[in-house]
Amino acid sequence: MQPKLKKSLIYWAMLSPLVVVILFPFAVMFVTAVRPRDELFVYPPRWGFSEFRWGNFAEMWVKTNFGEALFNSLYVSVLSTALALVLSIPAAYALSRYRFPGKGAYRTFLLMTQMMSPIVLVLGLFRLMVALGMVNNLNSLVLTYAAFNMAFTIWMLQSYFSTIPRDLEEAAWIDGASHFTSLVRIFLPLAVPAMAVTAIFSFINGWNEFVLALTMIRSSDDFTLPVQIYSQVAGRYQVEWHHVMAGTVLATVPVAIVFSWLQKYLIRGMALGAVK
Amino acid sequence: MKSLNGFKPLAMIVPGLLLAMFIIGYPVLDLANTSLQEVSRFGQLRGFTGLDNFAEVFADPLFWDSLERTVIWTVTVVLGTLAISLPIAIILNDDFYGRGLARVIIMLPWAISLTMTAVVWRWALNGRAGLLNATLMDMGLMAEPIEWLAEAQLAFTVEILIGILVSIPFTTTIFLGGLSSLPQDSYEASMVDGATRWDQFRHITLPLMKPFINIAIVLNVIYVFNSLPIIWVMTEGGPANGTDILVTYLYKLAFRFGQLGKASAISLIMFGVLLLFTIIYVALVTRGEKDSAAKGDA
Repeated sequence: MQPKLKKSLIYWAMLSPLVVVILFPFAVMFVTAVRPRDELFVYPPRWGFSEFRWGNFAEMWVKTNFGEALFNSLYVSVLSTALALVLSIPAAYALSRYRFPGKGAYRTFLLMTQMMSPIVLVLGLFRLMVALGMVNNLNSLVLTYAAFNMAFTIWMLQSYFSTIPRDLEEAAWIDGASHFTSLVRIFLPLAVPAMAVTAIFSFINGWNEFVLALTMIRSSDDFTLPVQIYSQVAGRYQVEWHHVMAGTVLATVPVAIVFSWLQKYLIRGMALGAVK
Repeated sequence: MKSLNGFKPLAMIVPGLLLAMFIIGYPVLDLANTSLQEVSRFGQLRGFTGLDNFAEVFADPLFWDSLERTVIWTVTVVLGTLAISLPIAIILNDDFYGRGLARVIIMLPWAISLTMTAVVWRWALNGRAGLLNATLMDMGLMAEPIEWLAEAQLAFTVEILIGILVSIPFTTTIFLGGLSSLPQDSYEASMVDGATRWDQFRHITLPLMKPFINIAIVLNVIYVFNSLPIIWVMTEGGPANGTDILVTYLYKLAFRFGQLGKASAISLIMFGVLLLFTIIYVALVTRGEKDSAAKGDA
């Protein structure tokens, strides 16, 4: 046998237990989502079922108010990403291009806030939103997600910005362009891919966030997807598992595909860029 | 870069800085203030009581149980994750058929929110009809379904295993970054000297990977110690507080039992621990930057 083929077989054999455990929940999710309701609780439990009920998805959409939660998640994720980017782009530009007093301290501040987790501050954040009169208001999530994401977006953007050569901007200055024009005409177009990737990760963070959404949002009309799906499960005597699984499929699979596709870009911008 | 040093870059930084300081700074100060006061269950501050809230926390056996479980949770999840991720990264760093597919699969848990993962597992582990029971019974490993989440010890063990599973992708990614930066010539030289692969692992890979392992430990400790969704969604710290870690206990105190003073005190304690690990992280990162600057490739 060819050495590479033999090596491949050994490697796959070593990886297979983990691969099975990783794929198992996905299989559970799909198989449950399309199962007829009366085949959820059978004894003995089994994988097989009589027919594919694609109608579960449509039924779930109506019964669990999925559309509204989807809209709320989109609203919060898009606006928090926009806010974070508007504030991060100039900051990242300054970090990658200028020397200024307190730069070292600012970098340390960013690294520290990047590690700050909302759960430790959740009670204080809730009290802040009470003081601002923003409890049960999706904008409270927009503000907090943007603030907690910003360290990540600035860090990621500045690591990309540093790879864009300064010569181009300097050449434009010599030709008489102002800093502002060179920024808009030359730098920003080159930085679009970096900003797009950063925006997508910021969006996914907002999309997946649970603790703050669970805390700040009290009325079910304003639930985001993770909280809405959680509320179908928690504290209920009877859980409509086929609906819950259909919901998780719709809420996770599109995002998972985008994430898997762009994941390699994440590594570059993350903190470990700094250790290399 | 010439005349622009000074005020202009500061003006570019300040708006974001203000938002971050407000949203992160205010809660810290508010928690510090609240933790020193008597608080009604509706959040009204009723006057300064010194360290009474902290004394109450330290006298609470549930706090100590949760703390103990937090340490077990953090240490086992982080160590388990490292022990699995390093060999996985070494495999994925080598060339073999289907490597691209293997990478995508290993990274999948990272792409799904913890909440959704926990919801799916909660169903998969269902004591009556869960498909884990179905699988194990089909394989003939057991005759009766098991109630995986009904008993604290078993539920907590299962939660730890899921904690490991979801931490593997991130950790593997850090290790892959490290492995790709290792110098190939040391391996070639050691082959000439007749070193086995195990020798290479112990004497070349492991020492050179040390900075990456350190970073992986610190970052994972920070993430795992703070992680609420898995335990909250699967068991809500139950049955009978048997799977509570500090974050779930804190959340219950604050938003279920209305014990805001106590909850603030625990928040502040956790904030201190988090700060400690963050400082270690910043020190590691800064040292890494200095090292690579010294090598001239910063």
